[in-house]
Amino acid sequence: MNLPDYQFLSAPLWLLTTLHVLTLTLHFVAMNFLLGGVIIVLHAGVRKRWNDPTLLKFVRLFPAAMAATVTLGVAPLLFLQLVYPRQVYSAAIVSGWFWLNVITVVIIAYYALYRAALKGERTGKIGLPALVLALVGLLYVSIVYSSVFSMAEKPNLIHDLYAKDQSGRIFNPAAGDYILRWLHMVLGAVTVGGFFVGMLGRNEPSTYQTGKQYFVVGMVLASMAGMAYLLSLLPILAAFMKTPAIWALTVAILLSLGSLHFFFKKNFCASGMMLFVSMLGMVYTRHVVRVLKLAGQFEPSSLRVAPQWGPFVMFLTCFVVALGVVAYMLRLFFGASRSAT
Amino acid sequence: MNYPFWDAPIGYGVLMGAIAVLHVFVSHFAIGGGLYLVVTEHRARRRNDELTLGFLEKLSKFFVLVTLVFGALSGVGIWFIIGLLNPTATEALIHNYVWGWATEWTFFVVEITSALIYYYGWKRMTAAAHLAVGWIYFIFAWLSLVIINGIITFMLTPGTWLATGNFWDGFFNPTYWPSLVMRTGICIMLAGLYALVVAARHEADEFKARTVRDTTTWGILGLLITVGAQYWYWKAIPAAITTKAVQLMPTPIHALRYSVWLAAAIGVLLVLGRVMARRLPVAVAGLLMVFGLAWFGAFESFRESIRKPYIITGYIYGNGVEVARTDRYKKDGYLAEIVYRTGNEGADLFMHACRSCHTLDGYKPLKSAFNGTDRAFIAAIVRGTHLLKGNMPPFLGTAVEADRIAEYLYQRIDHRPLDEICRQEGLDLGKTAYDLRCGKCHVVGGYKDASKSFAGLSPDDLSGLLDNSALLGEGMPEYTGNAAERAALVAYLQTLGTQVKK
Repeated sequence: MNLPDYQFLSAPLWLLTTLHVLTLTLHFVAMNFLLGGVIIVLHAGVRKRWNDPTLLKFVRLFPAAMAATVTLGVAPLLFLQLVYPRQVYSAAIVSGWFWLNVITVVIIAYYALYRAALKGERTGKIGLPALVLALVGLLYVSIVYSSVFSMAEKPNLIHDLYAKDQSGRIFNPAAGDYILRWLHMVLGAVTVGGFFVGMLGRNEPSTYQTGKQYFVVGMVLASMAGMAYLLSLLPILAAFMKTPAIWALTVAILLSLGSLHFFFKKNFCASGMMLFVSMLGMVYTRHVVRVLKLAGQFEPSSLRVAPQWGPFVMFLTCFVVALGVVAYMLRLFFGASRSAT
Repeated sequence: MNYPFWDAPIGYGVLMGAIAVLHVFVSHFAIGGGLYLVVTEHRARRRNDELTLGFLEKLSKFFVLVTLVFGALSGVGIWFIIGLLNPTATEALIHNYVWGWATEWTFFVVEITSALIYYYGWKRMTAAAHLAVGWIYFIFAWLSLVIINGIITFMLTPGTWLATGNFWDGFFNPTYWPSLVMRTGICIMLAGLYALVVAARHEADEFKARTVRDTTTWGILGLLITVGAQYWYWKAIPAAITTKAVQLMPTPIHALRYSVWLAAAIGVLLVLGRVMARRLPVAVAGLLMVFGLAWFGAFESFRESIRKPYIITGYIYGNGVEVARTDRYKKDGYLAEIVYRTGNEGADLFMHACRSCHTLDGYKPLKSAFNGTDRAFIAAIVRGTHLLKGNMPPFLGTAVEADRIAEYLYQRIDHRPLDEICRQEGLDLGKTAYDLRCGKCHVVGGYKDASKSFAGLSPDDLSGLLDNSALLGEGMPEYTGNAAERAALVAYLQTLGTQVKK
C-alpha cells in the first residue's frame, strides 16, 4: 500500500543534534542547580547550618528549579527519541515499570520541594524530611535515566534481557556501563550547586566560602569520576580519540578550570559562562560516545532526511518569541522586585 | 514489530486511560483556569474588590500546585506511557510531528514561567504588569492546545495526509476545528468547576453568592460550547467511521451516551449551584468535579475507542501492525518482522497480535473467551478477527502463525467441557455455548444477528447446521463442542428461531 513512510528525519541530522545538545545542556544547568542544591542544603543541615539565609533562599527557589528542570528536559528527550527511537523505547520497555515510575517519583519529589519551600517561607526553617524525600526521588530518576540510556546503547543486551523477562521489571544489570557516568553527573551537580551557592551568597563571606568548598571539591571528585568513566570506555577509546569530541572534552576541562579561576575572583558572569560552555562540551562528548557505542549496529546518518522547513520555521519563530516573552516577564518581575525594595 | 513488547499485568487500555483522563482533566483546567484568573482579576481591580483579589490569590496557589506539578508531569507521563504501549505509533507521530511538539514545548516554557511569575507576583508586581503576565499565561496555554489538538485529532482523522504525507494536511484534519472549539469549551467549563471548589469553602455571605454566580456562569457557558461543538465533532468524523461504530462498536457509543447524560447532570448541578449560590455546599462542588472527571473519562473513552481498529486511522492498527506492510505480513508472516524474541514463538505472536488490547485473565480477557474450546476453534477465530464484533484489527500473519497463537492460548485455558466449567445445563448452557461459539460474531438483536435463519428449523436441522458450520460463510469455525454442549446449543438456537417467528 502506498502510504507515507514515517522513517525519516524532518531536519538535517546536524541540526537535530545541535538542538539536542543545546537543550540537554540547558536541562543539566537547571537539574544541577536543583540536585546539587538539595545535596548541599542537606549536607549543610547535617553540619548544623540550617539558619543560613542563603540556604533558605535556595530552598525557596527549588520548586522553580524543578519546573525548569522538567520543562527543559522535554525538548532533549524529544530530539533524542526522534533520532534513536528504536534504541530508547526498547530499553525503556525492558525497564518499563522503573521508567514509568519516574513520573510518579518526580510528582512526589516536586510536591516535597513545594512543601519545603512553603515551610521555609512560613517558619524560616527548612523541612528536612521533605528535602530528603525530594533527594531520594531525584536520585531515583537520575539512576533510572542513566541505566535506561546506557542500555539503549547496547541492542544485544536489550535482546538478551527481553528474552529472559518481558514484564518490564528489569533494571539494567550492566552497572559498570553507567555507574561512573552517573556518579560523575551527581558530583557535577554538586559542583554547579556550589557555584550557585557561592554566587547567591557572594555578599555573605561564610556562604561564599561554603559555595567555594562545594565548587572545588565537587569539581575534583567529578573530574576523577569522569576520568574513570573515560577509561572504562576502553573498547571505543581509540575511536573516540579520533573524533572532534576529544577536543571538545579538552576545551571543556580547561574551561572548568577557568571557571574556578573566575569564581575565586568573584567574577560570576565569566565563571558561569565558562561553566556553561564546559557543560556544552561534555554533553557533546556524551553524544559522540553514544554514536561510537552504537557504531556498526545503528548509524543515525543512514536515516532518510526529508526536511519539514515550514513547520521548522514555525518552531524557530515561536522559540524566539518565547525567549523574548520570558525575558519581558522576568524584567517585569525583577523590575518590580527592585522597585519594591 | 521493531520493539520489545511490555507484558504488563494491567490492560493497556486501563493504564493509558488512567493517566490520560487525569491529565486532560487538569491540563484543560490549566488553560481555562488561566483565563478565569486574569478576567476575574481584571474585573476585581476595576471594582477595587480586595475580597475577590484575595480569593484569586488563594485560587492561584491551588492552580499552580495542581497544574504545574500534576498537570505538567502527567503530560510527560502520557508521552512515557505511549512510548511503552505503542512505540511504533509514537515513533510515527514523533517523526511526522516533531516540530509540532517542539513548538508546543516553546509555549510550555512560557506557560510555566508565566504561571510562576503570576503566582509569586501578587504582592510584588504592579496591577498592570500582573495582568499582562496573566494574559500571557492564558494565550500561551491556549496556544499549546492549538498545537496538541492537531496531533490528537490527526490520530482519528488523518484526512488527506494518508495520500500526501504533508505535515499541514494531517494537522488541519477534518476534526481539527470542532475539536479545538470543543476543548476550548471544556477549558472554560472546568475553570468554573475548579473555582467552585475554592468558592464553596468560603463562609455564606454576599461575596460567596457573587463568586458562585460568576463561576457557575463560566461552567454553564463552557458546557454549552462543549455540547454544541461535540455534536459538530461527531458530524465531522467521516461517516465510514461513525456508521461502523453505531453498527458494531458498543464501547464508543455507550461512552458517547454517558457523556451526554453526564453533561446534563453537570448542567443541572450548575443551575442548582447558581440558585443556592450563597449556601452552596462543598459537596455539590465536589460532585461537580466528579461528574466533570467522569464526563472527560467518557469522552476520552469515546475518542480512543472509536478509532478502532486503528491507533492512527488507516495507517497503524491498535496492535502496532502497520497498514503499509500488509502485503509483507501476508507473504512472510509476523514472525519474520518481530525483532525482539522471547524464544517462544506463540508468546511472541500473541503479544504482538493480541496483547495490546487483551490480557489472559484481566482486561478484555481471552482465557474466559476460549475456556472449553479447542485449538481449531481458537485458530479460526484468530484468522477471522476482522469479522468479529467490536471492529478488531485483521490478523495478517500466516495460517501457521494463527495456529501457533491458538496453541499458546490453548495451553492456558480450561480444557474441561463447557458444561463442567460453567456447571449449567439446558437453555442456560445453550446460551453460554452460543456466546462462546457464535456470539463473537453474531449478536442476538444486534450485529450480524443470525436468529432469523434458525426460524422453523428442527433440532436435527440445527444439528446439521453445526456439522457444516465451517461451510456456512467466510471465517465460520468448525463446530467442535461435545454432545451435552451441542444439545444445549441446538435447544437455544431453536428458541432464538421461535422468538423470531413470534
